[in-house]
Amino acid sequence: MKVLDSEQNRLKLVLNILVVVLSLYGVAKREMIYDETSQFENLLMDFFGPMQRSVTFLKRKTGSLLDYYVLNINASKENGQLRNRVDELQNKIFQLDEISKENKRLKGLLDFNTDVKGKKVLAQIVAWDASSDYKAIRINKGQADGIKLQSPVVTTKGLVGYIFRLTDNFADVLTILDANNRVDGIVSRIRSHGIIEGFSGNKCLMKYIGRTEAVILNDMVVTSGLGNIYPKGVLIGNVSRIERENYGITQYIEVTPSVEFSKLEEVIVLVSAEASKIKKEWEALDNSEEKE
Amino acid sequence: MRFQLKDILPPFLITLIILVVLEIVSTAFLPVMGIVRYRLTFYVLIILFMGFKLETPYLPVLILILSYVHSFFSIEGWAMGTLAGVLVCAIISYLRELIHFSSFILTIFVTQIFQIVWILIVSFMVYIQGGEFPYLVAKFWRFIPESIALSLFSPFFFSVLDKIWKKSGEGILRENT
Repeated sequence: MKVLDSEQNRLKLVLNILVVVLSLYGVAKREMIYDETSQFENLLMDFFGPMQRSVTFLKRKTGSLLDYYVLNINASKENGQLRNRVDELQNKIFQLDEISKENKRLKGLLDFNTDVKGKKVLAQIVAWDASSDYKAIRINKGQADGIKLQSPVVTTKGLVGYIFRLTDNFADVLTILDANNRVDGIVSRIRSHGIIEGFSGNKCLMKYIGRTEAVILNDMVVTSGLGNIYPKGVLIGNVSRIERENYGITQYIEVTPSVEFSKLEEVIVLVSAEASKIKKEWEALDNSEEKE
Repeated sequence: MRFQLKDILPPFLITLIILVVLEIVSTAFLPVMGIVRYRLTFYVLIILFMGFKLETPYLPVLILILSYVHSFFSIEGWAMGTLAGVLVCAIISYLRELIHFSSFILTIFVTQIFQIVWILIVSFMVYIQGGEFPYLVAKFWRFIPESIALSLFSPFFFSVLDKIWKKSGEGILRENT
């Protein structure tokens, strides 16, 4: 055969087959529940994390300065000195204003009221996922700060997601916008259960709500507490679209998350003592499925 | 054909560094600029370049390493990208004689075509794994602006990679007609 006529071609064929088989195995084995990283991956992600963080930090800082100074570029020469002085003072005010706003946000986060016992870890977003298919964010806190896999992540406005991947100093949060993240939710007014799933853009779908349930627009959707990941009663969002057909057993419900993901800067990770128990429960469930 | 590992390793390491820098830009800089919905997957462009230009038997291993590095920045993992990359490069290797890059427009066009092949493979894999049709449709709508941006960027990007891989004189990309 022509394909096997030289050593290079044979090597190429063998490597192609090996890598395809390996990647098929990887695709088949991949689960979107959580991802445990190896020491090597930990090391590299912790190495790249600060770079992402510094880019985010620099952009935020220079962006603020650029917005401020570029707008004032047409200052007249006569008033140059005075303007510089005013700029300096205004810049100070601007910085203080930013600090004040940040303080308010952080205070709000710390006041977040939930039944979860355990600590709340405040974290900043340093990056988003490299693929637009996955709605995950990277935060600047990790195992060293006490965060555990599958810890819920929230803001004062509502639910963000849960910890999917963890290194010593950084963590990846699988947000509720991701199609792989499924949250058991309740329509607060009528107490109907459904599953919230990431859909498209900034919307989620609420599935498995019966056609006869009287859901109306702007109904609040909160977590039910089932599923062992999220605490009960955390706001997910509001119903923004309903489609009921004459046939079928469920209705089509779109939910707009209460958290504005495009403007998200800080989040709070709720670390409960039960987080390790949850992992053991998942493992026990997996083992029982394998035995069956 | 580059067969010796010593020929491949230095330019490949530089390519990996470029990939890391671009991934950092894509994951940290663009979202802060307000571009949250779309992401530029530069590793796809690098894998396509390698498929077009490199005739080495180690190509699948290089694709695996590139996808692995990409997985540090995405929860996507390495497997799907590797599979799609190897299959796309296999298709390119059969069509290599037909692929000519005599102008920027052709470079953009060919890159766009193979990005479509890539998305078809990935979508098929997602579908057989239980992915729902509306999800795939949403994915496709995101793919259109992302892929066009990458294709428009490809002539410049390929010329940079050309210099790194010292390929400019070999006439595959932007060759003289």
